[in-house]
Amino acid sequence: MFSLALKNIVFYRGRSITTLLLTFLSALLFIVYVAMMDGSHHSMLKNALEVYGGAIEIYKKGYRDVGGNQYLIRDVAKVEKVLNTTEGITSFTSRYETYGLLSSAEFSAAAMVVGINPEKERSMSKLSSTLVAGDYLSENSGNCLYAGADLVKKLQIKVGDEISFIGSASDNSFAADLFKLCGVFKTGSFEFDASASFITHSYFDELMYTQNKATYLTIKLDKLNMVDEINKIIQSHLDEDLESVSWKVLMKSMVEAMQVDSVFGYISMSLFFVVIFFVIMIFGFINVSSRIREFGTLRSIGLSRGNVRKLLFYEIFILSSLAIIAATPIGAYIAYFFSVHPIVIQGISETYKEYGIVSDEIPFAFDLWTISWNVALIFILNFLSIIYPITYINGFKPIEASHHV
Amino acid sequence: MYKIILKLAWNNAFLRLSRTLLVILMIAVSMSMMLSIQGIYDGMTVSMIDKTKRSDCGEISLYNPDYRLNKILTNSIKGADKIRADIASRKEVRAIVTRFNVEGLSATARKSSFSNIIGINLQDEIDFGQFDAFLQKGEMILGKRGGLIGSELAKTLKIRIGSKVIFSTQDSSGEINAIRVKIKGIVQTGNIGLDTTALYIDGKRLHTFLGVQESEATQIAIRTDSPTLEQDLQERYPKLDVKSLMELYPMLQQMKDMMAIFNSITFCIVMLVVFIGILGVMYVSILDRIREFGIMRALGMEYSTSRLQIYLEALFVGLTGYAAGAVLGLGALLYLQKYGLNLSRFADGLASFGMDTILYAHIEPIYFINTFLAIIAASLISVVLPLKKIKNLNPIDVIKAET
Repeated sequence: MFSLALKNIVFYRGRSITTLLLTFLSALLFIVYVAMMDGSHHSMLKNALEVYGGAIEIYKKGYRDVGGNQYLIRDVAKVEKVLNTTEGITSFTSRYETYGLLSSAEFSAAAMVVGINPEKERSMSKLSSTLVAGDYLSENSGNCLYAGADLVKKLQIKVGDEISFIGSASDNSFAADLFKLCGVFKTGSFEFDASASFITHSYFDELMYTQNKATYLTIKLDKLNMVDEINKIIQSHLDEDLESVSWKVLMKSMVEAMQVDSVFGYISMSLFFVVIFFVIMIFGFINVSSRIREFGTLRSIGLSRGNVRKLLFYEIFILSSLAIIAATPIGAYIAYFFSVHPIVIQGISETYKEYGIVSDEIPFAFDLWTISWNVALIFILNFLSIIYPITYINGFKPIEASHHV
Repeated sequence: MYKIILKLAWNNAFLRLSRTLLVILMIAVSMSMMLSIQGIYDGMTVSMIDKTKRSDCGEISLYNPDYRLNKILTNSIKGADKIRADIASRKEVRAIVTRFNVEGLSATARKSSFSNIIGINLQDEIDFGQFDAFLQKGEMILGKRGGLIGSELAKTLKIRIGSKVIFSTQDSSGEINAIRVKIKGIVQTGNIGLDTTALYIDGKRLHTFLGVQESEATQIAIRTDSPTLEQDLQERYPKLDVKSLMELYPMLQQMKDMMAIFNSITFCIVMLVVFIGILGVMYVSILDRIREFGIMRALGMEYSTSRLQIYLEALFVGLTGYAAGAVLGLGALLYLQKYGLNLSRFADGLASFGMDTILYAHIEPIYFINTFLAIIAASLISVVLPLKKIKNLNPIDVIKAET
């Protein structure tokens, strides 16, 4: 039956070439399109996590919903003990975040001022590697402020200048101090660069009364895909009043936005699939309807309906396999190539800065599992496209088919 | 004669009904899907542009030339009241507003966030861009001490109706000053820049708080349909920065262009595949009847008559598919225009991009015109190859040949 199917494929060249070509193009298009879509999503997520976020963050329950100084973590050392004994964590650090007004001699701007552990932060975020002027912080930096480039621009200051800070301490008392601008960073994240500034936790401890306190602890994992498992383990070891939250919850808006984007992407792709499905079905139908007498003869000499079904399935199987075997390595290579050498669209990050786009690069995602299900879907669609032609041809009785004109 | 050709073409187009129905189904389903997708995508862009115009810059906005780069109090438009009166007197101006916008820190007892306080005249804003339609919760009033807040900023600050917000910023004397605002309403403008930062209060109150003249404004926004007004204003106010919507929001222009490119590529690919489908059916249909054409040629029918018949057959199939697709597509578009595509499951994600949870379709006659022309073209071109067969036909050989 298999060799008969092969002969038919060679004999009915028009149908074979059309099916091969359309299957090849749809598989290639699907692999490349999904790689590009997933790649841009991964890149957005990676940038968001690398700039300042963490895979998991630990808060006092209520902080994220209500906020305020009564919802600070008041025993950071105890949480750190838990994290030190948890497998799969690359690094972690505590942060104390507050908001206040920073003023230069002439200008003021609202800013987020964060007390950090400079050395731990090196491995946690992009803060140290995005230095553009001055120096990054060290434990002995004192009142040195490390601020975003756009915030510095707003305040019209330069490295070495003094800035006053007004805010409120962790006990809700009034806090004010003079900082010195020691370093400037530029992550590319517009909002972050225009609003964030950092100071050493040890200095902040005295100003804000934050010894052993933190707004949250942020955690970097060895493997991001283990986030749910590790999050569960951490949560089980924490005190009841603390919560461990994964990036999936922390970045819910971004995750949903990416899901919406994927939905639209798949809707667009489905249009191509529907049209291609119909064309393959039409060509399959034309093919079988021009072979009705042949099938009649085959049935008359003893082939069953099941054999006819098998024959047509073999035909579509061979054609689909050939097309997919050709399309998969090409599509995979394109996905791999652009994952290593991302497409660069100059100015895209500037245009879409309000949406958190921090890079002009659009990397593709190279993932064998994704490629596998992409081609599997094309395969299934091709098989579905032959069902109607099979039903049509099997509707004929052998004698009726043999005399069909 | 033509009547007979027409009848022949019609009968032959539907001779192999299953085959023809498959092509019609293919055209109808792909066309209706394509129109729906195009309508939804265009609807998203049109809605974003419309909301940006209504909530912020109108078709044209005027600023102090230094303001957009350095948003400080001193970079405001002096004598904005007179400029406004002058512009408002032009007949091509539909509506005009002046706003005063300053950056600062909004804080509640528990949360703080960066924000922009915007001094507005509420009635002017309603006239300008149906600002009242943006109300998400509460009331559309400012009152003496009240204000409205952007939906995303309200989320960040965990604000409810009646909450109080302290806004701190530097006033005109260089001092840090603070103002208390009681939140009367939460607005969702769909303009992400405003929804995440805006705190609206009465313009006069803001001027007093900042210690600036009432005649000053940071922005004068204009609604107009005139394509020449921007240039006229640039000539009349050379010392001001006169910008159109697309200059102020290049992202919208890029989005619009990208949608147009995407829709064009989709259209071309779909029509190409549809063309292949029609070609396959027409080609086989003609080959099936090659003896019939041979006999007709032998009886004296001219090639041009056979050609006309085949063109008509292809057109009948294509146009029936188009008609079915147009009805289905129009139905889908009308449904999506009225009820929209509900994506409330992704509400947070959509809101963070300044988009509504229900996406409504936009309908343009050009969708149907373009598809009509493309299907006519695909139908006619699809028979070029089979026609060559007929043209080179030797009637005797064909009649003799086995089918």
